[in-house]
Amino acid sequence: MTAQGFALSEEHRMVRATVEELLHRLRPQREAYFHAIFDEMYFPDELWDRMAELGLFGALVPEEYGGTGLGLLTMTIALEAFASEGLGNTMAMVTAMDTMAIVRAGTPEQKRRWLPDIAAGKLCLAFAITEPDAGTNSFRISTLARRDGDGYRLSGQKAWITGVDRSQAMLVVARTIPYEAVIARGLPPRHGLSLFMVDTQAPGLTVQPMDTVGIEGFRQFFVFFDEVPVPEHDRIGPEHEGLAALFDALNAERILTAALCLGMTEFALRQAAEYARERRVFGDTPIGAYQAVQHPLARLKVLQEAARLLTYQAAAAFDQGVPSRQVGLQAAMAKYLASEIAFEAFDRAIQTHGGNGFVKGYHLIQMLAPARLFKTAPINNEMLLNYIAEHALGLPRSY
Amino acid sequence: MKICVCVKHVPDPNLPVQVDPATRRLIRDPKQSIIDPADEYGVETALRLVEEHGGEVVAVTMGPPAAEDALRRAMAMGADRAILVSDEALAGSDVLGTARALAAAIRPEQPDLVICATESTDAYTGLLPGALAGLLDLPQLTFARAVSVEGSTVTVQRATETGYQVIQATLPALVTVTASVGEPRYPSFKGLMAAKRKPIEVRDIAELGLEQHTVGEPGARERVLEISAVRQVKQGRIVVDDGTGESVEEILAFLRSIQVV
Repeated sequence: MTAQGFALSEEHRMVRATVEELLHRLRPQREAYFHAIFDEMYFPDELWDRMAELGLFGALVPEEYGGTGLGLLTMTIALEAFASEGLGNTMAMVTAMDTMAIVRAGTPEQKRRWLPDIAAGKLCLAFAITEPDAGTNSFRISTLARRDGDGYRLSGQKAWITGVDRSQAMLVVARTIPYEAVIARGLPPRHGLSLFMVDTQAPGLTVQPMDTVGIEGFRQFFVFFDEVPVPEHDRIGPEHEGLAALFDALNAERILTAALCLGMTEFALRQAAEYARERRVFGDTPIGAYQAVQHPLARLKVLQEAARLLTYQAAAAFDQGVPSRQVGLQAAMAKYLASEIAFEAFDRAIQTHGGNGFVKGYHLIQMLAPARLFKTAPINNEMLLNYIAEHALGLPRSY
Repeated sequence: MKICVCVKHVPDPNLPVQVDPATRRLIRDPKQSIIDPADEYGVETALRLVEEHGGEVVAVTMGPPAAEDALRRAMAMGADRAILVSDEALAGSDVLGTARALAAAIRPEQPDLVICATESTDAYTGLLPGALAGLLDLPQLTFARAVSVEGSTVTVQRATETGYQVIQATLPALVTVTASVGEPRYPSFKGLMAAKRKPIEVRDIAELGLEQHTVGEPGARERVLEISAVRQVKQGRIVVDDGTGESVEEILAFLRSIQVV
């Protein structure tokens, strides 16, 4: 892995070396992990534990709560490295989103309650914002948290919620004032949104698996809330004004999505180059000597480096406390480019491999859907271009 | 209990070795040097013993300032603090000079146990632990594949060609460990952060009470007279199969002759 141009600190270089050392040690188990992740759709607990021992989940948790406070750039570098070995962990990313919401908007009591267990890797956390009728337009969500005594009652439905079956709790984005009421009062649509940590075993909460592909090792679910009781102390951030904490979580999500895409790109390009160096079709010339094979890979290498710089820059800005709107722009650019090239890299790697690209043992065809997913989720790339056009170019809002 | 573990900053053994023909010494590029992988087994052994019995692990090395990297690594794994013996006057030390410097740093610590690898991955003399034990007046238990401590007694399983011997000594003692003691842990992010804050005491020869003529080039009684590359001897035998499968018998006969099967 390169990106030497971005001045990584000694600390970050050591982090990368440490992750690479762990990955080297995990090599003998890699095929077994692939089997679990791609064939059984089950991210191995042992691999989660090894990531936890390493301190992956504590990277975002301040030291006073049992983490290292190393920050999002550390997490970015680490997740990228895991993904470059085909071991990307989507739930690490989702758990990181919830972690950031708690770190940045939680009360000291909430931090004491959640963060030490997150840092220790004991908690896997889901994130629930998308609804069947409100995906890209998050302001239109209708899941409602109604005041009830000292707490709330949560009612509604979420969809495409990843890893709920493996999670102990999830951060739910709900309306504490219905959208229509907000608009009727002349308030901005972002008003009336609140965040809640909800126990996945809470009474009234049920889940139903969705038949999807694309998230390696984890499944996606419909989640139904039927008057689910949520105590007030589980609300993260101020009532009606959950958007600031939500932005922190979403920025982390986009940056870590880019990290996963970068690692996947690394995996695809490395495999493609290795194969192209060895495979001979006409005489003794390896196919990698043909420009038709090497140019597309070289082009992707250039784009990968560019995407890495964007991603590291966004992560560093996030860690430095740059205002979230500014980070959001950098995160949008990073996620856009990284996800475009990740899909293209698998496409080209498969093309380079010819028929072998469809042999499961090369692990390319199984990663094509996960690579494709990131152009659509967690936010589609067209919405990112809308955002970039508006905020980087000053063009009129297009939606 | 207090355990001093000797570690060494050595050229990365995964990279080709380069020797300066003029000085006949290894070319040591600090950027391509790491903690001797053999020493990580010593650190691991010390950490496990302290986890079981309580106490402190002190990593000790001799080298230029860059050798601090090896100490930081040991501390990232879990060692509590470190001592770096560093002085330009130590350049060119032979095994005895190195042992004198390390002994002078370790003696005031009054450790219960000193742990070393059996030999370093760069020089491979395997002489230092013995010299160190001699200078510190400690019993030496070598080639340990397992180490345990009970009360004031250390017990090791000493690996031999045919099995192992069980050897005991009264603490304090010096133990050399092999790779069979167990896989060394890798540092966690927390370890990396903690290592940055753990103290490294740097000692020069004056502070250690060493006289110049006993260490470094002047004190060295060993001289490297010649150094040459290992001759590449082509070994092995190619058995060609003519399609009849008779080569299988030939290969089996060969394997039997060298008692592999």
